[in-house]
Amino acid sequence: MKRKNNGKDFCMFALPGMFCFFAVVMVPFLYGVYLTLTDWNGVARTKNFIGLTNFLGVIKDGQFWTSLLLTFKYVILVVLLVNILAFFLAYLLTRGIKGQNFFRAGFFTPNLIGGIVLGYIWQFVFSRVFVNLGEATGWNLFGVSWLSDPTKAFIALVVVSVWQLSGYMILIYVAGFMGLSEDVMEAAGIDGATGWRKMRSIVMPLMMSSVTICLFLTLSRAFMVYDVNLSLTAGAPYGTTAMAAMHVYEKAFTSRQFGVGQAEALILFLIVACVSGIQVYLTKKKEVEA
Amino acid sequence: MRKHAVKRAAVLGLAMVLTAATLTGCRFGFASDPDDPNEEKKEVPIDTSVDTFEYDTQLAGAEITLLNSKAEIQVALEKMAEVFEKKSGVHVEVMPVTEGDSPYTKVVSMYNSGTPPTMAILDTTDVIALAEEKAADLSSEAWISEAEGYLTEVNGNVYSFPLCIEGRGIIYNKSVIEKTLGSNFDPKSVATLDDFKGLLEKLRKAGMENPVSMAKEDWSLGAHHLQYIYETFDGTSEGAQEAIEKIKDKTLNLESYGRVQQFLDMFDVLKEYNVAKSDPLGADYDEMAIDLADGKTAFWFNGNWAWPNLSEAGAGNEDDYGFLPYFMNNNPDDFANSRIQASPSKQVILDGQMASEKEQRAAKEFMNWIVFSEIGQQMLVKTCNLIPPFTNNPYEPADPLSRDIYERVQSDEAFNASAIVPNDHWSVLGAAMQKYLANRSDRTELIQSIDSYWEEQK
Amino acid sequence: MKQNTKGSIKKKTISMLTTVGLIVIFAAYMFPFLMVVINSLKQKRDIIKSPFSWLFTIKGLSFDNFAKAFTQMDFLNAFKNSVFVTVSATLLVTLLAAMLAYYIVRHNNVISKLTFALMVASMIIPFQAIMIPLVSIYGGMLNLLNHRLTLIFMHTGFSMAMSVFMFHGFIKGSVPIALEEAAYIDGCTRSQTFFKIVFPLLKPIISTMVILNALAFWNDFLLPSLVLSDKKLLTLPLSTYSFYGTYSADYGTIMAGLLLCVIPIMILYIVLQKQIISGVVAGAVK
Repeated sequence: MKRKNNGKDFCMFALPGMFCFFAVVMVPFLYGVYLTLTDWNGVARTKNFIGLTNFLGVIKDGQFWTSLLLTFKYVILVVLLVNILAFFLAYLLTRGIKGQNFFRAGFFTPNLIGGIVLGYIWQFVFSRVFVNLGEATGWNLFGVSWLSDPTKAFIALVVVSVWQLSGYMILIYVAGFMGLSEDVMEAAGIDGATGWRKMRSIVMPLMMSSVTICLFLTLSRAFMVYDVNLSLTAGAPYGTTAMAAMHVYEKAFTSRQFGVGQAEALILFLIVACVSGIQVYLTKKKEVEA
Repeated sequence: MRKHAVKRAAVLGLAMVLTAATLTGCRFGFASDPDDPNEEKKEVPIDTSVDTFEYDTQLAGAEITLLNSKAEIQVALEKMAEVFEKKSGVHVEVMPVTEGDSPYTKVVSMYNSGTPPTMAILDTTDVIALAEEKAADLSSEAWISEAEGYLTEVNGNVYSFPLCIEGRGIIYNKSVIEKTLGSNFDPKSVATLDDFKGLLEKLRKAGMENPVSMAKEDWSLGAHHLQYIYETFDGTSEGAQEAIEKIKDKTLNLESYGRVQQFLDMFDVLKEYNVAKSDPLGADYDEMAIDLADGKTAFWFNGNWAWPNLSEAGAGNEDDYGFLPYFMNNNPDDFANSRIQASPSKQVILDGQMASEKEQRAAKEFMNWIVFSEIGQQMLVKTCNLIPPFTNNPYEPADPLSRDIYERVQSDEAFNASAIVPNDHWSVLGAAMQKYLANRSDRTELIQSIDSYWEEQK
Repeated sequence: MKQNTKGSIKKKTISMLTTVGLIVIFAAYMFPFLMVVINSLKQKRDIIKSPFSWLFTIKGLSFDNFAKAFTQMDFLNAFKNSVFVTVSATLLVTLLAAMLAYYIVRHNNVISKLTFALMVASMIIPFQAIMIPLVSIYGGMLNLLNHRLTLIFMHTGFSMAMSVFMFHGFIKGSVPIALEEAAYIDGCTRSQTFFKIVFPLLKPIISTMVILNALAFWNDFLLPSLVLSDKKLLTLPLSTYSFYGTYSADYGTIMAGLLLCVIPIMILYIVLQKQIISGVVAGAVK
């Protein structure tokens, strides 16, 4: 009986969603891949097949590899900080603390402000508040704007990203904790497992599916950071904070090397795909089915 | 229980959104402040009583689009389009290039989507990139003869309509200088780099520690500052082009090319008296306008497009602002020390690929209307507040910065040279300039960066 | 007995400390938002010169920015467009993604595996890489741009992968197959089982996905800017374009405009939060 319904099931359940996805994401993506093999510059009427010349251009583009290295550093920091912070905040926010709804709403607000306004506000924080603070206290740490020093500008970028992404991840972790049955937590309490041990031996394994999702999301988002990069530092000071995605965009549209930019985007995609593939494989192994 | 939760949610929402409201209570009543410069935006009256322009009645009903990359005149252009439609029956839809998009990216994506704008306002580099591929040839238009010297030619043909002239230099606030020094200030008395340095030193002694504002943005450093080295080659666009070609094929050595060192001499002076000297890369663009208007500084390196910022900061049309040249050396006879760089920046291209013949004709009429009709002439200057590149336009801009540029152009105290550089020039070399500004590189390293940039462009 | 009191005191202290700690972190999270609220009431000059000053010390404080933003954005029209696009796309993607994810979880065949793998991989495609191909195909070839329906379709397509991914994880982890088998025995068809048994169980993840997707659609700028150019069709974020100039931006109005855009979505969040909290799954499994 099940077998007979398979085709109908597929058409009803899977097909509409798959159609949207393939039409909007996969087809343009494949077309984009094709474009990397041509000399099309985004404007010209003709496209000539030029093989892998654009990829040679990528290899020669030293800036791209520098930005990629920087992106790796950034990703490691952001992924770790976001997930640790979000996991524990979500844990606290599902333990029945007074006003936890209010807190949850608050932690979500970073998601409500996007784009240029977000960058603008944080620019103020780093170049004004901190500088004022530095003047008042005499602390060297805040003496000059963080955004004018390469290392500190990088840290600023990490801070803002953690601030923004963790708000999103808290939501997913909260949903995960809500999905755990209270029995599990209670049982753990009665058995005498307390605090840290309870967390490690009982909660963590059950939360692994949330962890997988959040790790994956932070990983991919951090790799593709663009908005915050553009609005907070725009690569400043002197191009030291330009991450891979921003470099790709600049290559394609500012430097007008559309094919090379497109090829760099493809390479970036492959790298992220490998890294997150490994991550998903590793964390999935630890998941427990409910 | 449920009711309780709903109530709580409502209270929460209110609390979050209106935190400020509850904090301030009754203060909201006093909205208008008579001293506030931002309060009244006066409308410049346009005299529409005389109109001798001959409209082509066949074009009535045509609908064309204009992509606008100069966001500050969006509203003005919409007004202009409205008046034009009333007169000609042609509807011009003004589309803005939105936040986060570069004009070029927008045009490219619009061409790819099959709906390019009939007209697009673009920078010169973009015009050249698109001209032969997409734009209609405008070489035989009537306005060509009125814009002598301000046309951009690509292989002998004109593909773009110059919308305005923009000039840049060292903006001064005269009254602040006079108040600080306690004596009259004549901008003409400053004719060389040493004069300028002397003036800065006098201001410093009189209590204004660092009288100069300079932006840290890469477009300012990489385009507006650095391009002087090409533009002052001989003060013409052809000369700038020649300089670039020579740098590319190494017949002009940057180390020994005088303008490079001279440019850096001036840059160093600005750097020395920079109000944000302790943290030059932490300077804030919006604050500079306020500092200049308030008299915290006396100079700001910028162009006449900065007027809206100054006006927001409290400067009025009757105030005394103007430009000093970007002094390059101590020779008072060098044109660079007496003339202001002013050239057409934003240009309009007409789509020659997808637009129908009627649409193209309607667009051409719109351009002609701007140049030849009494109303179009007025609106270009008064409503859009632009400096017209057309010799037949009798109207003068109202704000002091544009007026200064306008008068200098009229009295031959400006040089019209625009360097056509690759599109990423400002961002790549802007970064190199930032490094130099922050004292993290020296002249040798900066010159090397410029050298290797041009090396890659071959 | 004694130990008990001691324990409860310790517990109380810990919970007090957590609350205090939470409040501190909370303040840090709320800070920028608060900045927007405060500065939306100031004039540009005050925003630049004293962005952090308290409201009492500023003169010229007013709702003018809101009035200006409201008219310049053509708020009501843009609001209507935003609501139409967001609601339709959210409903569509929630339903289709839940169904697709359910199919993938319950049918362990090649198509499922391949689709799921592609979807996961697609989540890391940089949007910039498909931007130009996307408009070439939908504009240049199919001529479908400048319709709200196209935008809804694209929003649905772009958020499909992420939504399926989330539903997939949830269904796999929290929807026991035993319930469905019981339903089959009672004579339910596949679709009946899904809509009557499974879908209600998905409530927590649906609420989460609705808020995440709705927020993304509501605030998205880049995609709508590529698809819509007709003024009558602009969504809220697009309609704030006129506040940004080439060399300067009208910050007060931008912030007021931002708040006007954000308020509806905040209300949605607050309403849906209860759904997430109610934790339907725990009850159903018991």
